[in-house]
Amino acid sequence: MVKFLSEEWIDISKKYILEKLDPEQDLKNITTSLLNVVEHVPPNDTSMNFYLGFQDGKLTDFIVNTGDTFEEKEAIFIIRGNYGTFKGILKGEMSMAVALLKNRLKLKGSKMKALKLIKPLDGVIASLREITDEYEE
Amino acid sequence: MTLKDVVSMEKITLDDAAAIAKKGTHCGMCKIDFLGTGLCPSGKKHGFIAYWPQGRMEIVKALASGRVKPTEKLIEIANSCSFCGICDRQCNFATQLRPEKVAKALKEYVDNLDKSDFQSVLEDDVLRELRGIVGEEWATNDPIIISSYIRTIIHPDSELNFYIVMPKNAEEISKVIKFANKHNMPFMPRSGGTLLTCATPTVLSKAFCLERGIIIDLFRLKKLEIHPESCTATVGAGITAFELQKAAYEHKLRAHLAEAGAHVCANIASTGITSTWQNRYGWAADNYVDVEIVDDEGDIKNHSDMDIKNPYTTERGFTDITLTPPGIITESIVKLHPVFDDEDVVLVPFDNLKDALSMVMKLAKRDVGLSLVILSRKYLTEFLCPTPQIAKDFEYILKNYMKLNYVVDVICNKDDKKIVEEMADYTIDKNLMKSLLLGSPRLASLKDSEFLKILSEEEDPLKAIFAGPMRKHLEKGLDASPEQIAQVFDEDLRDFFKKAYSKPEMSDIIWLHAFRILPSRLMRQRLFFAQAGMIWADDEDKILKLIDMLAEVCDKYKLEHSLGFISPMDDGKYAFFEYDYFYDHNDPDATKRVSQALIETTEKCLLMGDILMVLNYLFKGLYRKEHVLYPKPKAISKEEQELFRELIESILGEELKW
Ligand SMILES: Cc1cc2nc3c(=O)[nH]c(=O)nc-3n(C[C@H](O)[C@H](O)[C@H](O)COP(=O)(O)OP(=O)(O)OC[C@H]3O[C@@H](n4cnc5c(N)ncnc54)[C@H](O)[C@@H]3O)c2cc1C
Repeated sequence: MVKFLSEEWIDISKKYILEKLDPEQDLKNITTSLLNVVEHVPPNDTSMNFYLGFQDGKLTDFIVNTGDTFEEKEAIFIIRGNYGTFKGILKGEMSMAVALLKNRLKLKGSKMKALKLIKPLDGVIASLREITDEYEE
Repeated sequence: MTLKDVVSMEKITLDDAAAIAKKGTHCGMCKIDFLGTGLCPSGKKHGFIAYWPQGRMEIVKALASGRVKPTEKLIEIANSCSFCGICDRQCNFATQLRPEKVAKALKEYVDNLDKSDFQSVLEDDVLRELRGIVGEEWATNDPIIISSYIRTIIHPDSELNFYIVMPKNAEEISKVIKFANKHNMPFMPRSGGTLLTCATPTVLSKAFCLERGIIIDLFRLKKLEIHPESCTATVGAGITAFELQKAAYEHKLRAHLAEAGAHVCANIASTGITSTWQNRYGWAADNYVDVEIVDDEGDIKNHSDMDIKNPYTTERGFTDITLTPPGIITESIVKLHPVFDDEDVVLVPFDNLKDALSMVMKLAKRDVGLSLVILSRKYLTEFLCPTPQIAKDFEYILKNYMKLNYVVDVICNKDDKKIVEEMADYTIDKNLMKSLLLGSPRLASLKDSEFLKILSEEEDPLKAIFAGPMRKHLEKGLDASPEQIAQVFDEDLRDFFKKAYSKPEMSDIIWLHAFRILPSRLMRQRLFFAQAGMIWADDEDKILKLIDMLAEVCDKYKLEHSLGFISPMDDGKYAFFEYDYFYDHNDPDATKRVSQALIETTEKCLLMGDILMVLNYLFKGLYRKEHVLYPKPKAISKEEQELFRELIESILGEELKW
């Protein structure tokens, strides 16, 4: 198990998603990109972000950054929320859809289109759950 | 009641008290002074729900089930009840319960505990900081106090991992939110709790409640100013519908409001204020001039600020479900409307919905009436009748003898009244309504009488009773008086209710429509769930089909159900409908069936098209109604239906077959 947003976390996550998730079955052949901005990261109340890119259900990018912007690539969706919200989602305490509907996650992009990604993204989140149980307190 | 009386009251155990408490539904009527009794002194002083009658009931349930252990605070809570009897009067009017018995049992239970039975609750760092913001007295992490919020913002199975704060203004709320964000703690406001109590037993509970974190109780934001010169009022988030209406009426002005216990700001934020007055007074942003909001970042904003992004618009479509408002409204400047000297009430009885609908939509399009609505037989009887049994018998009579199933209910000025009367063969006027209200016990007692049997044999019983000679007999037979209606209350409360019903407003139909103290009777000792929506109204047959569909689904799930009301909006272009399911909130099987019916009917309405369902208009009350209602909602496709199902599954977090 590795710490959320750490270097090892990216490495293992990438590997896990590529190996364990079937592009067609699990990821429904999605082509999309998602920038997740994580605010209020303890202990210093900073922001971090991670960018996920998929092409026909295959993970193409998984990049973690500090700060709340990511200049390298333009994402179709930008999701913003605090560390506690992302932690709750990864721990399975709240679904991504509920977090969106409760405004815990703020979305830039069409809500309708984002919600169409619920199923495939649920699979990604479930796999991230398998490898992460360490969080900043 | 003196303390001596209390001691001589029949002793009840904590379990017996819990059995009474279980019937409580958090209607919130014990938090408003609607009978002129004054308010519960301890609740008024301490604010937290734990000190109000409804909170004591919730605490007793939590203690009896072992959900919480006594804390030192419990001693203060139990002793803060002075047994003044106010709650018994208020609660008896609304729900027929006696909360004082519960308070008494709680006190006895506490008195019999050993000192060592009470745990002390330590102040942790979070609480210390919160107290630094709102003051020592107004923040707590005491499990007993927290338990009093179960079922109105806390899911019944949740761990009690919460802090509760009662800030006094927007600045304190802002600081609380900034603190919460920094510490990654979720937060949520609570006002009257009436919407939350309706959602909590159902499958929507997890989505609506706060899972942990900080409950921001808005009770202390009590600013209330009427500005007669601009026909507006400044209303703090702690002000209830009843309080605002009372202040407005002193200036011959009327506010547009939901039920008496709802907080005005919460109402604007959540349902946007739907009512029988909405065809004239509007919906959503029509209701206010400006609002002050603390957003999710803790920033304080006003809608009138020049540099904010358009706050009046929203995404559309069936997936646009929002489970929280776009910020906490701390203050609103609401519109007020004139009260005319020649206002009157006219009701037109119908045996069928088709004719009632046709009339109400004609009136709506011509903008007739201030308040304009079709009320079902069920609503009429639940509202008018002082006990559930009387309501049941009264309804039986309306259905089986009088064939009165719907009324078109209009509050209007004299000119409009003439229009209504010209369109109807016979009507019910203000005085007859007053007689039906005060005489409801007598009418109910006539259930198997010869008089009613003869009436039912008439070709048109409605005509015979409201336009023929039988009207006089009915009025005489009802023997309507405060004395008569007071007889149905417990013996020790009869004098009080005789006086209460002697006040003109208590049987004044216009006053009752404006102050809305009767809707809480829908939740007496059991709950209701209001499936609701707004349907494009050009096709009346489609509205009838919708109502038939709602009934069929409820039958399938074996629920007690009824149309509540249909009220036109937007000059009769839309019709708002509320269809109610009544159920025992303590029965898990019943709550499951309510949830199934709720989802199935939502899906079926989406497939029908032209309907904006409650899940899609909730928390959009700050927006312009035009941005929410238009373009007309299209029927969803098969593919979208799949998406709807995925979304619902994801929201519910569980499989619910329907
Ligand atoms: C018997 C009964 C009859 C009803 N009739 C009507 C009716 O005719 N018309 C109608 O419109 N509604 C009606 N409702 C629904 C209810 O009146 C409204 O939803 C109202 O907003 C509830 O107010 P509350 O103070 O109880 O809110 P709560 O239940 O405390 O809160 C409701 C929601 O709003 C949020 N909230 C609370 N305060 C604020 C605030 N200041 N700013 C932002 N968000 C806030 C809460 O977090 C919660 O999500 C009825 C409910 C009942 C039980």
